[in-house]
Amino acid sequence: MRLKPNRRLTNRARGEHLSGKGGSSTDFADFRDYAAGDDLRYVDWNIFARLRRPYIKQFQHEEEMHVVLLVDASTSMLFEDKMLRAKQLAAAFGIMGLQNVERVSAYAIHARQDQPWMLPPGAGRTRIRKLLKFLEDVEGGGSIPIEKAIETMLRFHRGRGVAIIISDFLTFGDVSRPMNLLYSAGLEVWGLQVLAESEINPNVQGDLRFVDSETQETLDITNASELLNVYQDQRLWLQDALHAMCRSRQGRFMSVSSGMTLPTILFEHLCRQGWILR
Amino acid sequence: MKWPGFVNLFGAWFLLALIPLIILYFLKLRRPKMEVPSLALWQSVVNDQRVNSPFQKFRRNLLLLLQILLLCLLVLALMQPFLQADAEVAEYKPLLIDCSASMSAIDETTGKTRLELVKERVREQINNLTGDQRIALFSFSNTGRRITEFSNDRRALLKALESLQPTDLPGKLDDVLRMAAAYTRTFPIETVTIMTDGNLPDQVDFELPFSLDVQRVDIGGPNIGITEMSARRSGPEEWEVFVRVSASSVDLRGAELQLWEDGQQRESHQVEVSNEESERLVFPVSTSQSKLLEARLVPAGFDSLAVDNSVWLTLPAARPLKVWVSPKLASWRHAVRVQPNLDLEESEGAEPRGAEYDLLIINEDGAGSAEAPVRLFVGVVPPDLQELIKVEEDVSYVVDWNRTAPMLRHVQLADVQIGEQPKLAVGAATKDLEERGYEVLIDGNAGPLMLQRREGLSVSYWFTFHTDRSTLPYRVGFPIIAANVVETALKQASLSDAAAAPTGVLPPISVDGSRSYTIKTPGGESLEAESNVAGTLDGIAASRVGRYDVMDGNNLVTSIGTGLLSGTETSLKPVEELRFSELTVATDVAEQLDSDKPFWWILALLAFGVLMFEWWYFQRARGAMV
Repeated sequence: MRLKPNRRLTNRARGEHLSGKGGSSTDFADFRDYAAGDDLRYVDWNIFARLRRPYIKQFQHEEEMHVVLLVDASTSMLFEDKMLRAKQLAAAFGIMGLQNVERVSAYAIHARQDQPWMLPPGAGRTRIRKLLKFLEDVEGGGSIPIEKAIETMLRFHRGRGVAIIISDFLTFGDVSRPMNLLYSAGLEVWGLQVLAESEINPNVQGDLRFVDSETQETLDITNASELLNVYQDQRLWLQDALHAMCRSRQGRFMSVSSGMTLPTILFEHLCRQGWILR
Repeated sequence: MKWPGFVNLFGAWFLLALIPLIILYFLKLRRPKMEVPSLALWQSVVNDQRVNSPFQKFRRNLLLLLQILLLCLLVLALMQPFLQADAEVAEYKPLLIDCSASMSAIDETTGKTRLELVKERVREQINNLTGDQRIALFSFSNTGRRITEFSNDRRALLKALESLQPTDLPGKLDDVLRMAAAYTRTFPIETVTIMTDGNLPDQVDFELPFSLDVQRVDIGGPNIGITEMSARRSGPEEWEVFVRVSASSVDLRGAELQLWEDGQQRESHQVEVSNEESERLVFPVSTSQSKLLEARLVPAGFDSLAVDNSVWLTLPAARPLKVWVSPKLASWRHAVRVQPNLDLEESEGAEPRGAEYDLLIINEDGAGSAEAPVRLFVGVVPPDLQELIKVEEDVSYVVDWNRTAPMLRHVQLADVQIGEQPKLAVGAATKDLEERGYEVLIDGNAGPLMLQRREGLSVSYWFTFHTDRSTLPYRVGFPIIAANVVETALKQASLSDAAAAPTGVLPPISVDGSRSYTIKTPGGESLEAESNVAGTLDGIAASRVGRYDVMDGNNLVTSIGTGLLSGTETSLKPVEELRFSELTVATDVAEQLDSDKPFWWILALLAFGVLMFEWWYFQRARGAMV
């Protein structure tokens, strides 16, 4: 299994990703006329024998892709199995990247706003263990909004590739700016929203005082059951807005429930949506 | 539009309870806390325009609003609001309710009597009593009766109202107005309300000390009834019974008039009458014994008033008039002897010896003689007037006489010369005679020449001069006076004619003296009455039409019947105005009795409804939180 980015955002470093003609891989790409100075090793002699003209045989160029895993570990992710599912997904994406000779780095959005919890970029299967340990050690907490966390992460990141942001995306701030920053940094934005079942179908009725788990702010709601329709509308509107942001930046977006099992998410949703190639 | 009034305005202070209510509401409002991952979505929900629509905002504090509404409704109910009537609100309201016979007239369409309609209006008045208002109920027919004192006890007033029933008596206002006037000395009464059908005498002998509000009901269909029944002797054992039938409608009404005797129908006639013209029918009856006759009217079709369809009449037993004339009054004896149907005792004694006489004509020798229904004293000054009237030897003459008195009817006394002069004593006046029960029938130039005095059933006439010492026996008027006195005696003895007794009080009944009797009324009640020394039962109330039996133990002594006999009541025609001494009061059917209408109970019901809704809403919300 490997990640399937929409664009060829790769590093020049040699890797597994074919990034156009002129490469040195074994995958044939095209022919072109011979020009002075071309390496004679790439002349297709069979065609020269038939046409009496030299043609250069071109091969796919293989480059390395940077996979950035950004896991939201704020307090809001501690509800139900959101954090667990986010870690599992990050691990899956990370392993897929490392198995396919990608450079994988991981960041956890945590209490420390200026210094993210990060796993430096690295490649090779030997990094799998480090990645898993990193993810295992991530503890939830803090109240850093996702948009701040992305900006912080970009201060430490170098390289093109895919940025996989696993979060609930429940923020009061504007996510479009960090999306632009990611895009301009050469990262394809993959947003994966993980929501708890209680967020997708909240079972609330009567007069309630909601307390924000991160900021401890309160909000009084009267007759909550009658507001559920509006809530669902707002939730779907948020998903549509995030989806549009990602799509407009050649990215992807998907919302999953933390109640789903990991195989269900990987094989029934991500594979079908073309996130992963099997 | 009039704003509602409030009986208990101080109840508005309870609105201050709104302050602690609102404070307590917010203090007590403990919403269960619920931790959510983020408020981002819920904040956007709250900011949604749909949630912030005015209706949704209202729903957010619905419980508080319901509690405020509930408190306001309760306080308003406590203030006892009422819709003000157009009329001035009086604190003390006497209601005079007509219970005369015409109030039992039934409306053809609704089947309700006039009294029932009046009761409905009065019931509304009682139910709408507010604050310090008091109502006193009076009923009246030919007399007045106080039903309740001034009271605001609705239950007692309604109970007294329900006990009212129409009587079989004609209506008359004088008595009940005097009763109401007596209350003006104790209570500040400004207006007296009369609830009537207007079947009243239009002339009322009363000076109004208050304003009068006459409320008239005007229902009742066509009616036909007997308004008169009398009998006249036409022979020694022959009677002519006259019955007059009247109707209330313009159209001709048909009915069958039956004459019943001892439970058997003697005769019947078909009659057709309208309110323009009544019909008088004559039934010849032959009897020498006393008989009780009943005229019964059977109307064809609907009859609004049933009580005037039956009248009773007692025919006295036929006998000659028993007369005794003093032997010294030869002129009188000659004049009386020629009269028919009399038995003149030809004794030479100075005093009557017989036990019972119908007429005594006496001179000074028999002044202390036996009693009789009619006595004529000639040349006698009543013993109790002898200090006031002195008879002197002088000539006197007639100055004036009462031409309408039965004794002096058709008599000319202008030129009569009298050889005696009855003279009033110095300082005495006619007023002194009247104070002693005497009425002057003939005035002389110096004093009264003839006096009349009524004592119970008997009547006495006194010539204060001797007729033989005047030119009267030679005048044409003398035999006429003799005929008149015989006629008066015949009437007094009920030998010449008889009239049906109207309801009210039974006519005097001759029985044994000083004995107790039981009178059984048509309603089945028994009344105890005692006859006086003269053997008369009188003053017996007869409020119902029908037969009254006078019983001595188990023995029937006599029977007497009554009837409504009121043309006003039978006509069902209301008077348009009542004429009092100095003013007239219009009776207007269109003007309905208006009263304040309290509606605190509506507010209380609304408050209860709000409470129930709030309870349901609260339980629903609490269940949802669980």
